[in-house]
Amino acid sequence: MNNTPLVQLENVSRIYQQGKVQVSAVTDFSFTVQGGEFSVLCGPSGSGKTTILNLIGALDEPSQGRVLLEGRDLAELGRGDLARLRRDRIGFVFQSYNLNPVLTACENAEFVLALQNVPKALRRQRVMAVLAEVGMAELAQRRPDELSGGQQQRVAIARAIVSHPAIVLADEPTANVDSATADAILELMERLNHEQGITFLFSTHDQRVMARAHRLIHLRDGRLEHDEVRG
Amino acid sequence: MQLATMAWRTLMRNKRRSVITAFSVAFGVLLSVTFTASGDYAYTNMINTSAVMGLGHLSVEHPDYQDTPTLDKRLLDAKAVQEMALQIPGVTGAQVRIMGQAMFAGGAKSVGGAFIAIDPAQETPAHNIFLRTLIAGQCFSADEEHGVVVGAKMAEKLNLRLGKKLVFTMTDTDGELVSELARVSGIFKTGDDSVDGSVVILPLALVRKGLGYEPNAASLVAIFLDDHRKAESVRGMLARFWTQNKEIAVLTWQESQPDLAGLIGVDRLFNYLLQFLVGLVIAAGIMNTLLMSVMERRREFGIMMALGMMPGQVVRLVLLESCWLGILGLILGVIITTPWFLYMATVGIDFSGQIGEDYSAGGVLVDPVMKFRLYRESAMWIAGAVFSLTIVAGIFPAFKAGRTTPVENLKQG
Repeated sequence: MNNTPLVQLENVSRIYQQGKVQVSAVTDFSFTVQGGEFSVLCGPSGSGKTTILNLIGALDEPSQGRVLLEGRDLAELGRGDLARLRRDRIGFVFQSYNLNPVLTACENAEFVLALQNVPKALRRQRVMAVLAEVGMAELAQRRPDELSGGQQQRVAIARAIVSHPAIVLADEPTANVDSATADAILELMERLNHEQGITFLFSTHDQRVMARAHRLIHLRDGRLEHDEVRG
Repeated sequence: MQLATMAWRTLMRNKRRSVITAFSVAFGVLLSVTFTASGDYAYTNMINTSAVMGLGHLSVEHPDYQDTPTLDKRLLDAKAVQEMALQIPGVTGAQVRIMGQAMFAGGAKSVGGAFIAIDPAQETPAHNIFLRTLIAGQCFSADEEHGVVVGAKMAEKLNLRLGKKLVFTMTDTDGELVSELARVSGIFKTGDDSVDGSVVILPLALVRKGLGYEPNAASLVAIFLDDHRKAESVRGMLARFWTQNKEIAVLTWQESQPDLAGLIGVDRLFNYLLQFLVGLVIAAGIMNTLLMSVMERRREFGIMMALGMMPGQVVRLVLLESCWLGILGLILGVIITTPWFLYMATVGIDFSGQIGEDYSAGGVLVDPVMKFRLYRESAMWIAGAVFSLTIVAGIFPAFKAGRTTPVENLKQG
């Protein structure tokens, strides 16, 4: 059995230069995520949640320390390899959905598969199955501006999971939707985690998300405050 | 989802901006067609006019005739040359001619001038501007051995009318002065006073006899083509017939009329330069639009890169947008240019009020009516240049879009 953690952060620090001032977003942060987890990075604004998601998602590079995904050190990968890694192994769900406004729900969901050069017929089949899974099959031909916030977020989730990534990184996924929609979205993600074993890592300060998490990683001022694993 | 479809939809997101930019491309097409088509028409007109003034699009002559056009430099068997030339595709006529200098006298007055001796049985107005512009009488016939056609200005100088006598004196192949008598059968007026006051058309047989030329000898064979642009290729074919013969040379109109060729060359260069500068201004406008569009969509590019899009694919996406802009601009360009082109190709603008009817350049009469003519390769060149310029204008914005990292882009908006 392979015991390599899915995600591994070793003494990671991220310092940004803002004008003449250096701002430390994350300081000496270490943690691991195992496959199948439903975990939450929580903490107040500015605590470093999004920075950690960006580092794990190969969108940003640490100033110090190492980030490993499936045992691979991201610092050793070039721009092209990192793009391929994001395309094939990571799914993203953003706070403000960030669907492409010129693509339909179906085209948005199949965007990653198109980047992977999956044949059109096969990707359409896979996308329709996933859209059905998230309850969006009937609205597949609508553009984002014809969908509600909750519907857009469902499409974003479909886009994140359709390529069977190793991990889905969700940055404040419930921040822009009403409570009922937030519950429905969380229920959907919980079900996908439970039934399909998809690993989810959230960043949030939404209590509803935290209530459903199996593990809570509390952050404060860019440092790990408390790692709480629930039963 | 193909990148091309995505690029098109992105362009249509801001329809007004895209259409305005496409119109600037279309305006470039209009300007480019105007410059190029007026040039194509004017140059073709000048070259064809120059050809029918004596030397043709190609002239086959003695190799030294161009530098020292004396009457002893001649083709001994011009008839054979004429027959060979007429076999070549694209050749519409081949005329045997003797050209030289002579003194012309009528009554008590005399003037120096140039003569073109022609075979009236073979010459047609299509290949001879002087027969085309007769204002009195007609060309002498084949059995009219002593006929002559003079220019209106010379007729005025020498007090000549139809039927009047004209004596011309020239130097024969032995260097002796010989004179012949002819009667005016026709008077031409090309509109260029220098031509009308100095050129005389004489019968080939009379001049041959007077000069002591062999029965088939002549100064040159003027060859006419259905398209002046074929001059170089037809010259190649003709030259192959006489590779061993050092007494025969084939000259294109550029070589036999270097002044005209130089004038057209310089004018064409300025034309291209002007088009290039206009193109640069339009390209700067397109680049500005694309750059604005790229800067507005930085977060969008960040998302696409976060989802696994390669920087190269982002560059390609923006380049495809500029490609679509080029295609849209070309289509709009064709739509707005066609009516203007059709009007100018059929009616044109008459500048005779400004430049007169007898304006000449490079020794050739220029049509005072500005018209359009666009060769297929010119049209292809315009389409290619405008399209390429649009793509080039997209390169910087495209690299700008592909160069930033996903996290930098995600921080935008």
